Amino acid sequence: MAWVLKRIGISLLLVWVVASIVFLAIHLVPGDPAELLLSQGGAAPDQAAVDQLREQLGLDRPLMAQYLRSLGEVVRGDLGESLQDGSSVTGEIVRRLPRTLELIAAAALLALITGLPLGMLAALRRGGIADRLLSIISAAGLALPVFVLGTLMVLLFAQTLHWVSAGGYVPLAQAPGKHFTLLAMPAAAIATGLFSAVFRITRASVLDVSWRDYVRTARAKGLSRHRILTRHILRNALMPVVTVVALHLGTLLGGTVLVEYVFNYPGLSGMLVDAVNARDYPEVQGVVLVISVLFVTLNLAVDLIYGALDPQVRNS
Amino acid sequence: MIGRVYRSWPFVALAIIAIAAFVTPLLPLSNPLSMDVAHRLARPSASHWLGQDEYGRDVLTRLLWGARVSLLVAATSTAAACILGTALGMIGGLLGPLAEFLAVRSMDIVLCFPPLLLALLVVTLLGPGASTLIPVLALVYLPGFARVAYAGVLAVRSQEYVEAMRVLGASSSRILLRTVLPNIGGPLLVQISLAASSAVVLESGLSFLGLGVVPPASSWGLMIAAARTTMAQAPWLLLWPCLALSVTILTLNAACDALRDANDPHRRLSGRRRLMDALAPGMLPHTGPVLEVQGLTVAIATPGGTIYPVREVSLRLRPGETLAIVGESGSGKSLLGLSIMGLLPLAARPISGAVWVNGNELLRAPESELQRLRGNRMAMVFQDPLSSLNPVHRVGDQIAEVLQAHKRLSNSAAKAKAIALLTRVGIPDPVRRARVFSFEMSGGMRQRAMIAMAVANSPSLLIADEPTTALDVTIQAQVLELMATLKRDGNMGMVFITHSLPVVAEIADTVAVMYAGEIVEHGDAIAVFANPLHPYTAALLRSAPSENGSLPACVPGIVPPINALPPGCIFAPRCDHRRPACEAARPPLVNATPGRMTRCVRWQELQACAPSIGAVA
Repeated sequence: MAWVLKRIGISLLLVWVVASIVFLAIHLVPGDPAELLLSQGGAAPDQAAVDQLREQLGLDRPLMAQYLRSLGEVVRGDLGESLQDGSSVTGEIVRRLPRTLELIAAAALLALITGLPLGMLAALRRGGIADRLLSIISAAGLALPVFVLGTLMVLLFAQTLHWVSAGGYVPLAQAPGKHFTLLAMPAAAIATGLFSAVFRITRASVLDVSWRDYVRTARAKGLSRHRILTRHILRNALMPVVTVVALHLGTLLGGTVLVEYVFNYPGLSGMLVDAVNARDYPEVQGVVLVISVLFVTLNLAVDLIYGALDPQVRNS
Repeated sequence: MIGRVYRSWPFVALAIIAIAAFVTPLLPLSNPLSMDVAHRLARPSASHWLGQDEYGRDVLTRLLWGARVSLLVAATSTAAACILGTALGMIGGLLGPLAEFLAVRSMDIVLCFPPLLLALLVVTLLGPGASTLIPVLALVYLPGFARVAYAGVLAVRSQEYVEAMRVLGASSSRILLRTVLPNIGGPLLVQISLAASSAVVLESGLSFLGLGVVPPASSWGLMIAAARTTMAQAPWLLLWPCLALSVTILTLNAACDALRDANDPHRRLSGRRRLMDALAPGMLPHTGPVLEVQGLTVAIATPGGTIYPVREVSLRLRPGETLAIVGESGSGKSLLGLSIMGLLPLAARPISGAVWVNGNELLRAPESELQRLRGNRMAMVFQDPLSSLNPVHRVGDQIAEVLQAHKRLSNSAAKAKAIALLTRVGIPDPVRRARVFSFEMSGGMRQRAMIAMAVANSPSLLIADEPTTALDVTIQAQVLELMATLKRDGNMGMVFITHSLPVVAEIADTVAVMYAGEIVEHGDAIAVFANPLHPYTAALLRSAPSENGSLPACVPGIVPPINALPPGCIFAPRCDHRRPACEAARPPLVNATPGRMTRCVRWQELQACAPSIGAVA
């Protein structure tokens, strides 16, 4: 229990550090932030506009006061207003975040239900035809960047075969069938790379654990292959898999940017790209903060899962 | 040779890509920026091999210039991250806790941001372009390098030769600089290829979004983005940059895998598990002894060729008897034990001979039969009880499991029997101890639990591989006592593998002395101790601490490596009594006196002047 509390404490500390860095990032850049955000292609911005932005962002106040105020707002869940249309950043994030999370969850599910069993199969039949074939497939999966795969998928399935439309989004309540068809392509694009990662780590981990002393003991006890695999190998082999999947999911939280862009999917990351292009700093700050907090939370979840899998972690 | 070429292809391919990118400005290509709008989206032709893009620019030229940008960004950011990260990691490892926190732990903050996100945050502030990309990517990969270097310093710092150099007065930072860098070279190379591959992906992704390399400069990401808009008219334009990018990443990944494999000490080779050939004539099943081994030879395929760490070993063990197998580390005694159980590691396999347990031949038996016998009629206790017990299951469950594997037993009955077994091996408070994990027990307790597991189904053969080596001296005696009791009560035959002669004297009825994979002497334990027939046994006895307090004498020289054995007697190079005859041919194991065997050609001469061979009378 003390261990769980300690892990949560560390995570809260990290969230605070992340929030502070996101706040300070704009001040770390040399030059006047307001001017910087407004400058386009080297042309000097209009002084009146700079002053207005400075006031809007509260940049005219002392740094410490700005920092405390922004932390206070973050704690209350207020991430400021968009520079583009003055809408609430929090509101927009709340609207878009579930879509991105759904996309990631669908991709992770696809990758896990294929990668885990195939990784085990390849490890148990190492050197066999299935192992070699799957290793080639996973190498190809890792070599295809997600936006390349996505673009090629659009070219093949939408442009050439006309099976699906090139992208977009429909709410579940409005048209469930259409919702899942539109979700399938971006999810599959993400899942391909993730599958390769899950497959490889599962294979390597099962192989590694297979030659541990305690598995030799299990064999010396005359247990069946099935029992050795399910009881003595899998649980121990799952630990590195959990880490790798979590790391990739974390990267995906920011990495769906490319997929959402390719498939015109209105998630959180798409919002981020628009915001970066428009140099809408409050919006960028808000999205980065939310994603980083999710990232830290995910790492905490991994630690807790680790504790559940490995009694040694729990007790240390 | 073919294997080597096969493994080095990523590096050759990588070199070709890098050279192509490097010499691009020197090639007779058109200007990557010169437009030809009249021929926009033109198909491949003699003058434009890969076609022309949406402004009529030559695609091949753009592709090659794009490679330059991608590789330049990847190489500079990786190099910067590598140099800075390694320096930070080493500083963290060298200068104590505060430096460690500042240089290494603080890096973890970077890891709180998904890489693409961090890049986007910085691009918002600094604007897109290669000059922004390089520092961002360098920052993203910094923690990885810092960790590798830090771990390298820690590993080297604890090594004895570094301690020794420090005692000799060398400054610690100089030692570390000279020893760490060569040691972390391998992991650093892996990290470099990892970072480079990831940098190519990130750069192209950002350029694809229009937030990386800025037009009119060429980049594969930009080309894909542009081709996407003209996908309907000219789908082939999409193909070239996608192909170039994917092949480059594939090559970098393959290089990374190859480097990782080369650095992995646990590379495993597979081999046939079971002897399929017919039994040699004369090798008929025996019914009397618990264990009979005849002419067992084990081979291990190594990258340097096949070695034979166990050669022509024959043994016999009757019920209720204890046979000790004695030898230095690397003499093949553990492999011998494992091959009896059919538990050899993948690379090792028996290539000739036969093993009978209770009359069943095992080297040719199917895995299902071995599975039925293991843990049931034959059992094994391993050297290190901590690593041999599964860390995620309770000790009681691991004992109950072996019971249920061989007998129909309800969960509660198995649990009760497990507790009874724990009591029998002398573990106090067995009900509570059945519920703990192995790491919560003391070393002696763990080994007792392992023994309980081994004797659970009352086997007729128990193989104990250095069961007391990992234990305290006081605990050793108790565990030996326990094993002797269990053996007597269960009328088991026991093979006791050890390097400790006092242990042999205490527990063994017969003893087989192994040297570099061969049995050199075999016989009744008391007789062998009183009057060794092989000079190696004599030397071993002299090297053991004696009871009268005289100093032990070490055996001069070292055990020859298994892949470079001398042609004659393998002990000859270290033997005080060698003659030219010893080095001429490999001596056979001969019957000396009834029940005694030796592999020394001069045993009779040496017996005639007994004191010179040095029996410990």
